[in-house]
Amino acid sequence: MTRKRHSIFQPTRRVVLGGVASAGVAAAAGPLLPGLSLAAPAARLTRTIPSTGRTMPAIGMGTWITFNVGASRKLRDARLKVLQTFFDMGGGMVDSSPMYGSSEEVVGHCLARIENDQTLFSATKVWTMSEAMGKRQMKASAELWGLETFDLMQIHNLLDWETHLRTLRSWKERGRFRHIGITTSHGRRHDDLAEIMRTEPLDFVQLTYNVLDREVEARLLPLAADKGIAVIINRPFRRGALFGKFERQPLPAWAEEAGISNWAEFFLKFIISHPAVTCAIPATSKVEHMRENMDALKGPMPDAAMRLRMVDYVESL
Amino acid sequence: MIPFSPDVFFALFEEYNLAIWPAQLVAYGLGLLVLALVFRPSRAASAVIGAILTAFWLWAGLVYHWYFFAPINFAAPVFAALFGLQALLFFWRFLIRVDMTFAFRRDVTGAAGLTLMVLALAVFPLFEIAAGHAWPQSASFGLTPAPTVLFSFGAILLARPRIPLLVLVIPFLWTMIGTATAWAVGIPENMLLPAAALLSLIVIIRQRRRMA
Ligand SMILES: NC(=O)c1ccc[n+]([C@@H]2O[C@H](COP(=O)([O-])OP(=O)(O)OC[C@H]3O[C@@H](n4cnc5c(N)ncnc54)[C@H](OP(=O)(O)O)[C@@H]3O)[C@@H](O)[C@H]2O)c1
Repeated sequence: MTRKRHSIFQPTRRVVLGGVASAGVAAAAGPLLPGLSLAAPAARLTRTIPSTGRTMPAIGMGTWITFNVGASRKLRDARLKVLQTFFDMGGGMVDSSPMYGSSEEVVGHCLARIENDQTLFSATKVWTMSEAMGKRQMKASAELWGLETFDLMQIHNLLDWETHLRTLRSWKERGRFRHIGITTSHGRRHDDLAEIMRTEPLDFVQLTYNVLDREVEARLLPLAADKGIAVIINRPFRRGALFGKFERQPLPAWAEEAGISNWAEFFLKFIISHPAVTCAIPATSKVEHMRENMDALKGPMPDAAMRLRMVDYVESL
Repeated sequence: MIPFSPDVFFALFEEYNLAIWPAQLVAYGLGLLVLALVFRPSRAASAVIGAILTAFWLWAGLVYHWYFFAPINFAAPVFAALFGLQALLFFWRFLIRVDMTFAFRRDVTGAAGLTLMVLALAVFPLFEIAAGHAWPQSASFGLTPAPTVLFSFGAILLARPRIPLLVLVIPFLWTMIGTATAWAVGIPENMLLPAAALLSLIVIIRQRRRMA
């Protein structure tokens, strides 16, 4: 495998313009429908990382299960197309972890074979005990991805977080990571996470939020906004269960006017329109699903009133 | 928390089967040999059966779990250790402490043991075909966990004078792990595992009651 070296995240002109355009046009046009703001049709929603001022597309890609395809050439080729589509449609953050089996290796395999990944925002995690094992694991991740630096290194599920946070800070100072963060997907860890957010300097947190799981709205999202911490949303589709629950139900009558043409857009627009959210990272193994997911970056975004309407609608089903 | 999807799981089986071919034929032949030997019980035959069971579990631990499965599952090293431990237990129980004989007798215990062995050798592959998991996406006898555990339950039930409980702990534990995985990934043929475990449990309780 020829190993290429990506530098840290450098947003393309196209993505930055998308963000500026959506913000600008929305402000100028005012609401179309009550609860909706208009964006230029082709503009893609970008968000700013508070600690560094960098912008990124508000939808990224997760790799849990979907990119853990082992050595199968057929499945690797299929994932290559998914990743290509992601970047074709202006994707940025790719999130992985050593916990996800062969996912990091498969991401590295795909990155080495595609040319359109200039907007890559590489995000992985450390998931082990002890400083020495953590360092070894993070070096191994860089090898697997084919990178010298990561845009974001996160501590997975708070595991041995005090130890790893020291390493993360020192490696960030040395330029190995551009941002550092911490993740969870368990409500029972929210107290600990809140405490860490209050007391430790973090660039990112990653947590679960979707139209049904909204616990973080009360405390963690406002806290992140207050502390200037960027927020990544995992399990945006509740691991796919939201489709199982709602797919056979009709979209609301106002969906089309709201720029929502399928359930994926409904779920994702709900998330990325929250002002404290920086990026949602849906995972998919299918090109057509990737297209649907990335389409959620475009068009009008719900405002606070519309978001309430969205919650009411799913709860009424 | 199963970190792979069904298509990846079966792609792995395919890769594994093609890579280890023709080990499947050897394993199947060894399975038939065990079946034949339980009808001619002797200390020597039992040592051979013990060695074959040891080899099956060692292979499944090292080659299947450790080498092939670990890249897609963070739990595979633990599974490899479990299978390695079971291989050690078989080795110790049937090759060092040679105080047991594998023997078929025409009683309930014998019938149950034989049934489970035949299930593993002949019926399990049919269930796999019915479930759409035919070769090369099938679980090879003696070289992958499910048919190996099924077969081991059968063989252990035939150990005389008394079914040894220690060597059943890991097969029971694996039944729980394997059943949960089968449920999540969608491997209906693996539902033979809990059925085998239940049958074994009933037979053991019955034997212990009679001996008491
Ligand atoms: N503690 C942590 O750090 C943590 C915990 C959980 C998750 N995460 C990260 O967050 C990412 C996302 O979470 P997740 O993967 O658990 O769940 P998710 O993104 O909520 O759901 C993924 C599932 O949704 C399906 N899907 C995706 N797009 C779809 C579409 N347009 N239409 C229909 N189905 C669609 C996928 O199936 P198809 O493949 O068929 O599309 C997949 O089964 C993970 O991959 C991981 O990177 C991190």
